[in-house]
Amino acid sequence: MSLPEHQTPELRRKNLRLAWWLGALALFFLVTSFPFWNGLFKIVGNQAAP
Amino acid sequence: MTQTSTPPADNPVLPLPRREPSDQRALPLCSRSLGTGLALLLGAPCADADYGINFPEPAAGVAQEIYDIHMLTMTIATVLLVIVFAIVFYSLYFHRKSRGYVADQNFHNSWFGHWSWVIVPMLVLGVDLTIAGKADAVLKEVWEVPKEQNIMDVKVTGHQWWWEFDYLDHGIKVESRFVPKEQSGDLYLREVDNHLVLPTGTKIRFLHTSADVLHAFWVPALAVKKDAIPGYVTETWAQIDREGTFRGQCAELCGTWHSRMPIVVDAVSPKQFAAWVDERKAVMVAAAAEAGSDRTWSLDELYARGKTGFKTRCAPCHQVNGMGLPPAFPALNGSKIATGPIADHLRIVINGKQGTAMQSWATLDDLEIASIVTYERNAWDNKTGDVVQPADVKKAR
Amino acid sequence: MTATTLTHDEVHHHDTPRGWRRWLFSTNHKDIGTLYLFFALTMLFLGGASAMLIRMELFQPGIQLLEPDLYNNLVTNHALLMIFGAVMPAAAGLANWMIPMMIGAPDMALPRMNNLSFWILPAAASMLILSFVVPFFPGGGTQINTGWTLYPPLSIQVGMSMDFLIFAIHLLGISSVLASINIIVTLLNMRAPGMTLMKMPIFCWSWLVTAFLLILVVPVLAGGVTMLLFDRHFGTSFFDAAGGGDPVLFQHLFWFFGHPEVYILLLPSIGVLSHVIPAFSRKPLFGYHSMVGAMLAVATIGMVVWAHHQYTIGMSLGAVTYFMIGTILISIPVGLMIFNFIATMWRGSMTFETPMLFAVAIILMFTFGGLSGVMLAVVPADMQYQDSMFVVAHFHYVLMPGAVFGLFAGVFYWLPKWTGHMYDERLGKLFFWINVIGFNITFFPQHFLGLAGMPRRIVDYNVMFTEFNVVSSIGAMIFGLSHLLFLYIIIKTIRGGKQARNRAWEGAKGLEWELDSPPAFHTWTVAPQIR
Repeated sequence: MSLPEHQTPELRRKNLRLAWWLGALALFFLVTSFPFWNGLFKIVGNQAAP
Repeated sequence: MTQTSTPPADNPVLPLPRREPSDQRALPLCSRSLGTGLALLLGAPCADADYGINFPEPAAGVAQEIYDIHMLTMTIATVLLVIVFAIVFYSLYFHRKSRGYVADQNFHNSWFGHWSWVIVPMLVLGVDLTIAGKADAVLKEVWEVPKEQNIMDVKVTGHQWWWEFDYLDHGIKVESRFVPKEQSGDLYLREVDNHLVLPTGTKIRFLHTSADVLHAFWVPALAVKKDAIPGYVTETWAQIDREGTFRGQCAELCGTWHSRMPIVVDAVSPKQFAAWVDERKAVMVAAAAEAGSDRTWSLDELYARGKTGFKTRCAPCHQVNGMGLPPAFPALNGSKIATGPIADHLRIVINGKQGTAMQSWATLDDLEIASIVTYERNAWDNKTGDVVQPADVKKAR
Repeated sequence: MTATTLTHDEVHHHDTPRGWRRWLFSTNHKDIGTLYLFFALTMLFLGGASAMLIRMELFQPGIQLLEPDLYNNLVTNHALLMIFGAVMPAAAGLANWMIPMMIGAPDMALPRMNNLSFWILPAAASMLILSFVVPFFPGGGTQINTGWTLYPPLSIQVGMSMDFLIFAIHLLGISSVLASINIIVTLLNMRAPGMTLMKMPIFCWSWLVTAFLLILVVPVLAGGVTMLLFDRHFGTSFFDAAGGGDPVLFQHLFWFFGHPEVYILLLPSIGVLSHVIPAFSRKPLFGYHSMVGAMLAVATIGMVVWAHHQYTIGMSLGAVTYFMIGTILISIPVGLMIFNFIATMWRGSMTFETPMLFAVAIILMFTFGGLSGVMLAVVPADMQYQDSMFVVAHFHYVLMPGAVFGLFAGVFYWLPKWTGHMYDERLGKLFFWINVIGFNITFFPQHFLGLAGMPRRIVDYNVMFTEFNVVSSIGAMIFGLSHLLFLYIIIKTIRGGKQARNRAWEGAKGLEWELDSPPAFHTWTVAPQIR
């Protein structure tokens, strides 16, 4: 198995930090999907909103 | 109108390769079939073909404009396709190793290689703007319903699985349901029991909504398509140019019998339309008088009326034999509802059942509900002998 | 771009696990790539079987084979299995195999998470299959008759199957977001010294863009289906008009995911093509920079044009005009990509092995699908095309060549590298011809059906639509069965064949070809120096 033994501690820290940031980005899009899109959708406007 | 099963004479079936495909020579086959297909698509007459291959002949001003822009974009697309195919096949033929062609390793470093990323997008942008400009002009006309006082309003309500048409200016209503194969024959799935009758030469506004799930009203000859969304009212419009019968279907997946929601428009002259409206009004007045009368109905009378009502309204789901299609549509034959307390039976018919396809039937008049409930409680093995009078329904509402 | 140092690490082989442990606990990018590819192949056959059942039902008018709800459920499953089960895992499999080898990295940046993101997939697939199986049992509720778009209120009516499906989508989403994070970290942090971003192979670029798209849009789908779940069971009314909610909101959420998803499926294959075409034209890729730019542009514009899937919901004039123009403008970067491919072939010295045949077919057929896409973007005309068989024909012309053929090309191109054996070229070409001809017979007639007025997703149709449906169904049988030949070729190549050279193709360029065929279990343990 090629566990992170190939990675130096600095590289490993760097990788994990970037991964967490990307995970946070995904989470951000998840939690904002409802209010954000609801709001934008209201601005875009329908011929007859309910 | 355009249904038949005559053998296809010039059916653009892709030609199958007759010889063993060899690596380079056989390539044009695939393109040739695409090419013939497109040529057929372009050159085909727009109507009167035995089987449809393009839009039906437009019957409304808007539909004609839509047809024109469809043909324009298709022509542009075909021309571009031919150009791309020509360049690719030239290259495939001449720039081959087997012909001894030596690769030009510096092609991407030429003047062309450095600037093509600007030139190509410019060319594509030009084509795009041609299409978008034309489309934008047509769009305004299609999208905006003319603001006129005397526009005729028809409210189109989608139900699982039938259409309801309310003539808001005339106070009449048409319910249109699919007709089984035995009665519709070749028009199966393109025929309904009550047609949507519309006058020609009149601007008509369609107001679309739905009573349950999404549907879409689509009549290709009028080029009208709009989703029916519960809680929304969306609008489209058309002015029909010529008399005739125009057929369409529900275009948005709406559950089990999505395929069984045809739409048939009868376009007639304004005079005929007025006569038709009067006739419908007389029928409706008579029905209302009958339903409103305080007389007590016998079991046989209600049973006979209920049988007809059940067949049109309930049988699509619960089936003529009352066995339903479990689990989606429960059987009524021997069911707890249809043999239990009358009050529960009436409640579910009047209010529907949340979260299922069983809708509220509160829009039916008392007599109709009474007769259907009476029928359900006496048909098949449900020999309860119960008689439900219109007065009982009135109380239960 | 050449490697100056080549070292093959031979250590650690003594502790390489054998048997099932090798696969279940694998953290090796090559093994996980293989797992992904075999998973995708399995799902390809399941999804293909559902498609063939659909086409058998549509062979003649009338309902002969499938009950309407079963038919609709197969329509739903065909889409979900093909998109989430076949194409995305297959692309992820290519990424796992090739990205570390292409950028000179010993493995993916987060090998254990790599294991997790694969092994979530079989769980998700089981959940998906369960949603199909459950209605056959008493008390199992109704079948999923909504199509893969899962539009409420119809999806509120469905029985417990829908809940299984929602959980399956959650799992699939988690899997692809984790895989994307891994790929981005690998590409940004693990490149060999000297390999700047603008020297990175295009396949890696295509996956960098794809992975970012996935991270941005998959959570939105997850949010949408979660709201659906709440509406179904917890009394909320996000999408219920009667409770003050909005059924159209779900469509916006779904297509905000659904449209970029098209590019998620497409871009990895564009990346593969950018390797296959130069290799068999024996000439460098034309316009490396414009290729990267075009991919970024496609992804950016692709994020903001989702509502062209919903022209008929009654948006304001301003909104549809915006979505129409935005959609038409996508043709600019896509046109540039196609142009670059053609210019790469131009004045090359071409040979036509199976990967190249697929590449040429992609250029021709994807152009065709793209042009019908421009037609669909035009709102007034779309009033006729929307939800008709024309749309079905269009997106199969885009996704089969654009995504699936690209993956076939990639598999044939790198199979010698993975297995160390050349595949049987004659069988490969035979597969190509049957496949491509079968595809065209299947989907070309559907354009006519749509224009003549046949809606999509109907189980039964009027006799006027018979002729083209018969042709299409016959084509579908040829097309579907041809994939058995693909399976046979793969198995045959794994079991043996002519020994592949390290540089299996004469014109192949890139770090992966510097390695042995098949490569050692661990490669690039000492990073190559890129000049």
